[in-house]
Amino acid sequence: MEPANRHDEQTEPQAETPESEAVRQEGQDEVQSLTVQLQNAQALAEENLKGWQRSQADFVNYRRRTEQEKSELVKFAESGLILDLLPVLDDLERALAGLPQELRGLTWIDGILLIERKFRSILEAHGVTPIEASGKEFDPHEHEAVLRDGEPGEATVVTAELQRGYRLHDRVLRPSLVKVGRPSESEPKTENQS
Amino acid sequence: MPKVIGIDLGTTNSVVAVMEGGEPVVIPNAEGSRLTPSVVAVNPKTGERLVGQVAKRQAITNPDNTIFSIKRFMGRKLDDPAVERDRKLVPYQLSAAENGDVRVKLGEKTYSPQEISAMILQKLKRDAEAYLGEPVTQAVITVPAYFNDSQRQATKDAGTIAGLEVLRIINEPTASALAYGLGKQNDEEVAVYDLGGGTFDISILRLGDGVFEVISTNGDTHLGGDDFDQRIIDWICDEFKAQEGIDMRQDRMALQRLKEAAEKAKVELSSVLQAEINLPFITADASGPKHLVLTLTRAKLEQLTGDLIERTKGPVSQALNDANLQPSAVEEVVLVGGQTRMPAVVEMVKKYFNREPHKGVNPDEVVAIGAAIQAGVLQGDVKNVLLLDVTPLTLGIETLGGVMTPLIPRNTTVPTAKSQVFSTAADNQTSVEIHVLQGERPMAHDNKSIGRFILDGILPAPRGLPQIEVTFDIDANGILSVSAKDKATGREQRITITASSGLSKDEIEKMTKEAEAHAEEDKRAREVIESKNNADSLAYSAEKILREDDGKLPAALKDEVQQHISAVRTALERDDPNEIRSATEALSQAMQKLGAAVYGQAGAPGQGEPPKGGDEGTVEGEFREV
Repeated sequence: MEPANRHDEQTEPQAETPESEAVRQEGQDEVQSLTVQLQNAQALAEENLKGWQRSQADFVNYRRRTEQEKSELVKFAESGLILDLLPVLDDLERALAGLPQELRGLTWIDGILLIERKFRSILEAHGVTPIEASGKEFDPHEHEAVLRDGEPGEATVVTAELQRGYRLHDRVLRPSLVKVGRPSESEPKTENQS
Repeated sequence: MPKVIGIDLGTTNSVVAVMEGGEPVVIPNAEGSRLTPSVVAVNPKTGERLVGQVAKRQAITNPDNTIFSIKRFMGRKLDDPAVERDRKLVPYQLSAAENGDVRVKLGEKTYSPQEISAMILQKLKRDAEAYLGEPVTQAVITVPAYFNDSQRQATKDAGTIAGLEVLRIINEPTASALAYGLGKQNDEEVAVYDLGGGTFDISILRLGDGVFEVISTNGDTHLGGDDFDQRIIDWICDEFKAQEGIDMRQDRMALQRLKEAAEKAKVELSSVLQAEINLPFITADASGPKHLVLTLTRAKLEQLTGDLIERTKGPVSQALNDANLQPSAVEEVVLVGGQTRMPAVVEMVKKYFNREPHKGVNPDEVVAIGAAIQAGVLQGDVKNVLLLDVTPLTLGIETLGGVMTPLIPRNTTVPTAKSQVFSTAADNQTSVEIHVLQGERPMAHDNKSIGRFILDGILPAPRGLPQIEVTFDIDANGILSVSAKDKATGREQRITITASSGLSKDEIEKMTKEAEAHAEEDKRAREVIESKNNADSLAYSAEKILREDDGKLPAALKDEVQQHISAVRTALERDDPNEIRSATEALSQAMQKLGAAVYGQAGAPGQGEPPKGGDEGTVEGEFREV
């Protein structure tokens, strides 16, 4: 009816009163403002959701990795101690390698040999195994070259083991310190064997 | 979403770090080490490429094809004086490209330093992906502050060749400052003292509001921890020559052991005052085997290396001059590089700048950590999460006997919420008072009271029956709200406590220290209270059984139990812990006899015994009546 005509702004602009125009303008402004607020709120919600999802994903990854690290830790927990103890075994072997001939028959020396054997078997029980070096092809994954005999191209074989290397389970704990030389020069046994 | 990693691409070693849960984490390589030697090698026969520790191990067998310190040649021309000097120190071949850029021979081919660095970066990328379990395509890489444009571009190119989009190249000293959280205030002058394995760098930065400006740099490209090691080795050799007349410098294997021992002693002397160098069977001569045993004191070490530390002063004062600053004008000093662990170095820096330098972060890793922090910022990590805070002190309520029952332990990250169900302390208790406490002591009165309210309208019931759920909720702003809800009636009361009504930082420290000091006696006090509570509960339920099951019980046992109940009550009145304990024990045994008699089986306790916090998660709470 009459109010309906009044609302037909397009065809009869003169029919609109200042008051109703103000109201309409207000209404439009409010819609505008609400639309902007809605957009902002939606954007924020989206950002928050992404952030939350990312945090969850991070957490899952972190947990998986922590499990992995834990089992590694258990397996290799002793590696620090073992690594620190190896020089004692090295020195014991050096001592016995230089055993003077005249002492070899002594029962007392037999005792020391037994001690060395015991030390070795304890390490073995903990998963420590020696790395083979003498006579083998030099492999930087297991050996560290300290001395070289001959030209770089020719020196490819471990000709002497200067310090024994060890593995702990399947991992190289300490590489063998070796002398690398020409294949024909490889010695039948290492310098350190008694 | 892929992570951006931070890489410290060093001359001798490289380190990789990444942000995880808002914290920087150093990523170990495939060999399990946090440091990867910046060494690349190629086996000329097989063509196999080696990077890292593995490459280092075969260096002696393959000197021409083992590339180290490539960083010294990045972005430089062959005729650059620095290159001319450094090429004398490396066994591998350098040549010039058409435009004069340095080229390096590796195997059959020549490569640019960028390509060599890319090989290192490739290994770092691969190992990071293995560790993180996801692909890595973007990185932040650090460079020395004095690197020019062409050196920076070369570093960026190296990243690209390795398959990494380098989001930013940042200066090493800036990264170190970031690692210590500097740069958040306005305009701080920061000095970064970086004494690594082979080089010394001093940088003066101005930081403020996210902007980092390098004002001046200086240093010594051939001064580092290796020189300190060499002094010790020389001393050992000289001592040994004096003692035994043998020059160990001729014996490569002996030198190897010496080198390891020297480094080990140097490290030890950073925390103890003397170290023993013990090398049996170090060598031999015609007269037999020789042993080396020496004691190196910290004082002697400082004597041997004092001039090296002095040598760093020159560049530092030059850098300050160039920056137009007095040492005292520098507000923060940061220590970087393994050698800065030495107390004499820290002391010198402290005296020079007259302030305590920052040194808490692992000095070998601090640059990578800073790079990771920058990577996190670029990725939007830091902006997404508002500063995650922690509650500095434990929060809880007061319960039966005046003890504090914790709900949220200290250092819990907020926001967080925790609920626990409590109950009434007396029969027919119709209201409970929630007394909110903050602190570490077991007794309520030793902690700070931060709020109190009452929940009433609890229906009359035997004590221990009503279920009052107490919830502590802290929002991201540190505002705590505590609510208590009667699960039966649904009635609920709550209060809100703002952070400021708690304790100040000093008070917090004081409380924590006090808690530690009183830990023993507090523990005993709490045990006494608990045993009293137990005694009381047991007596109560025993009385209840005597009352309710009167007809079923044999008279003799009834009297015995009644006697023990009285004994417990007396003991409680007398407040003697030993008496309480033995009386409780006696009553408990009498109850068991009663149970056995009634049920005809051994060891079944009476049905009225209250759950000891186990079954329904109910803990007895004392709430004062109105």
